[in-house]
Amino acid sequence: MTLATFISSRRFKVDLWRATPGPFKVGAVILVAHGLFAVLGFFWTPYGYAEMGAGLPLSGISWQHPMGLDQIGRDVFSRFMHGAHIVLLLSFAGTMLGMVTGTTLGLLSGYVGGWFDEITQRIVEAMISIPFLALALVMIIAAGPALAGAPVLIVFVVGLVYAPRITRIARAAAMEIATREYVAVAELRGEGTWSIVFREILPNAANVLLVEFSLRLSYAPILIGALGFLGFGIRPPTPEWGLMISENRNLLIASPVTVFGPGLGLASLVIGFNLFTDGLSRMLGQRPVAGA
Amino acid sequence: MQKLIEVRNLNIAYGGAAGWTNVVQGVSFEIARGEAFGLVGESGCGKSTVAYRLLGYGTINSLVQTGEIIFDGTDLLKLGATALTRLRGDRIALVPQNPTTSLSPGMRVGTQVREMIATHRALPQGMTMEARIVELFALVGLPDVGHCYPHELSGGQQQRVTIAMAVACNPDLLVLDEPTTGLDVTTQRQIIQLLADLRARIGMAMLYVTHDLALLAQIADRVGVMYAGQLVEVAPCEELLSAPAHPYSRGLIASIPTTDGAERQGRGLRGVLRRDQMSTGCKFEPRCDFATTACRTMPQVLEPVTDARSVACMRWRDVVAPQAPVLVKRENKKIIGEPARLLSVADLNLSYGRPGLFDRLLGRTSPSVVRDIDLELYAGEVVALVGESGSGKSTIARAISGRLPPRTGIIRLDGAALAPALKDRSVEELRQIQYIFQNPDASLNPRRRIRSILERPIDHFGIKVDEKALESVLENVGLHAGYLDRFPEQLSGGERQRIAIARALLVNPKLLICDEILSALDVSVQARIVELLRSLKEKHAVAMLFISHDLAVVQEFADRVAVLYRGELMQLADIATLLDAPLHPYTEMLLEAAPGLRRDHYVSRPPAFPVSKAIPGVGCPLAGRCPRQVGSLCAETRPPVQVSDNGFIRCHLAADELATHASPADHSDFAGQVRSIS
Repeated sequence: MTLATFISSRRFKVDLWRATPGPFKVGAVILVAHGLFAVLGFFWTPYGYAEMGAGLPLSGISWQHPMGLDQIGRDVFSRFMHGAHIVLLLSFAGTMLGMVTGTTLGLLSGYVGGWFDEITQRIVEAMISIPFLALALVMIIAAGPALAGAPVLIVFVVGLVYAPRITRIARAAAMEIATREYVAVAELRGEGTWSIVFREILPNAANVLLVEFSLRLSYAPILIGALGFLGFGIRPPTPEWGLMISENRNLLIASPVTVFGPGLGLASLVIGFNLFTDGLSRMLGQRPVAGA
Repeated sequence: MQKLIEVRNLNIAYGGAAGWTNVVQGVSFEIARGEAFGLVGESGCGKSTVAYRLLGYGTINSLVQTGEIIFDGTDLLKLGATALTRLRGDRIALVPQNPTTSLSPGMRVGTQVREMIATHRALPQGMTMEARIVELFALVGLPDVGHCYPHELSGGQQQRVTIAMAVACNPDLLVLDEPTTGLDVTTQRQIIQLLADLRARIGMAMLYVTHDLALLAQIADRVGVMYAGQLVEVAPCEELLSAPAHPYSRGLIASIPTTDGAERQGRGLRGVLRRDQMSTGCKFEPRCDFATTACRTMPQVLEPVTDARSVACMRWRDVVAPQAPVLVKRENKKIIGEPARLLSVADLNLSYGRPGLFDRLLGRTSPSVVRDIDLELYAGEVVALVGESGSGKSTIARAISGRLPPRTGIIRLDGAALAPALKDRSVEELRQIQYIFQNPDASLNPRRRIRSILERPIDHFGIKVDEKALESVLENVGLHAGYLDRFPEQLSGGERQRIAIARALLVNPKLLICDEILSALDVSVQARIVELLRSLKEKHAVAMLFISHDLAVVQEFADRVAVLYRGELMQLADIATLLDAPLHPYTEMLLEAAPGLRRDHYVSRPPAFPVSKAIPGVGCPLAGRCPRQVGSLCAETRPPVQVSDNGFIRCHLAADELATHASPADHSDFAGQVRSIS
């Protein structure tokens, strides 16, 4: 059943919940919780996220400070709360950028073929052959100190790391769809390339691309977290979770909860995304492509 | 006669997201030892589900609710996996529908036959495995092809291999699931001949599942007609075909196009099988011409009416009563005045794959798949392009539509030469030629509503239409405005093809190219699309290039027929001439091989010079296969084109010579039997 008819069917409205696979439900619950938490953290936190001296530095868990305090006396839970929307927004924006570029390039490449396809694919292969973290670091260094730590750069890096991988998926889908007769019908009508790619091919690649999107989205927090951990992410004191883990890793013995808190947040987010993707792909009859 | 297998009250349901659907309901029949039983019905009627159950096989989501299949005293449905494995292939064997996908592509076919014999330890005493395999191949009329891989064999040969595998262990029952559906008509006839021959020699029983009643006429003793999961009639084959007792059987038989010159009014069946719109009574009631109010509430069960016949219809007496056939004499329409020439194709040569730089340097060219085509189409005329698969019918259509630039040759529309490539043609030229594809599932974008599918060409070509345009075009093709907001997958195959036709008609084309548009549809649906096309032809005076493998369908509304063989036009003639006096040996072969509704014991005539094989582009493509070959002349020189008053014949034999010592059989007899040349 395709997505469009699925959504317009009465069954969808009546017992959507019952018809969805288990992982999808669990994933959706986790993601909704994360979303609410992020919205709440954006508007209100118990203490300011950069407020020093909220309590005695390095004191452990208490009702006032459920995740303790860090070295300079900032409330870790407040930072964690405020960081939630940053992680979500960066992941979402970065993946979206990769998706738009990758899909456009991939669908064109798969449909047009020929020299355009050859050149695009060689560039894409070159980029995929570099480990993604190394590629990300190279890009951050190339961007120069002026941009270092800016959210725009992170979004751009995530997008650029993802684009080649998404390009390949979109290209494979387009190549298969391009052989269908409704594409031939459009060609016989004299439709232009863009029109065929966006009217005929894109809607039919939507299933594959949607699964790809949510799969990529689930890896994005890890990528952003890793950059933050290595000190190439968001500029401090912005409480991005990876950065928080990095800041507090010296305290692992003295106050483990300051590291585990953000770590658990990151883990639950990624697990939520993965379950959601798994369920979604089952609903759409698609198989997610393994690997980052 | 002794019963070999008996199916009693079989009920099978398929599980899905929406719960259980009853697919097979209360089916009971038996097959005697050595008997050939045919199971016929339209797609989705459950015939294959029943057939596979005879092998104890069902898909994972199917459930046998009640029923027994008694084979040799045991109930197959109660057997365990091991016992079934022992039985399958050994005592009950399957010949699958598609040999290309059912033979393992990476294994030599000899090894695959060996596997079958070895699994069941069925090697006869005192015989080596190699000898047995060669013997089996000889039995199905193959040379020793054991060392070949499946792709090295033709479709017909592959099907012979699967038959050899099936009979390897001398089974008692052979289950055949549409074994000739994908084959050309001449090959199809050879397979049928082979099966009849094997039955006579080995004496096994057969269950032959097909949608093609004409095929069953050639091979089956008794036939069961299935509708919506129920057997509605079981009768001896001849009796069923001459006097069907169930309204559905009657409609099914009437749907089969024949060339007896009769135009049956309102022939065939109306509506389609909708499992969601079943009445509590007779399943066929919504589509039945004989239905009364009682039919809607009273379930009909299969009851014996004569000693050999059972029918599930209380009004069978009215149905079986002979009707005076409405014979409408075919008018030989004389076109008044000289019609305008719409399309002319001159000296067309086509090949796939453009030569690369190296090929050009070395002077290599890829071989032409279509050679020297000259064809003309007049305004409002329907020309059928007929030939076996791979003869280049669709390739020619692709060239005319611009999807395949020809190597040489000119295509003119209304006297103006069309650009060879699609991108060089003007919008107006594109509008004038509309293409309808074979498979309506693939030619409608599944993610767009019908409204958007139909509106797009109007927007694209900038045609000014009134608001009612979409509704009126839907009405034209027999649908209504309610379809506009549906997605293609909510429509049946026939409805989708109607939408595809509507889309083409919306832009007022001068030429419709219909590429096998009927072959993906059920017989009853085909019959109604033919009606539609015929009415469109009369109403809109649109010219059509109708590509088909089915001469019988073509004769219902084509004006002229072009017969294509291996990329060359063999004959062009008006339809009446072609059927009455085919003249060309290839046309004769096609007409003879097509099965009719009577058993004809057809045996194909052997080629006159089987050794002198045709070389593409040199001699006549039919050389080596032609029963009337003159000698090596045919293989070595191109046959001359002999122009007649309404077409031409390409043959070395002169037209009067072809007419005089024609084949032993009478031509008018073939005309009654013509069906398809797939």
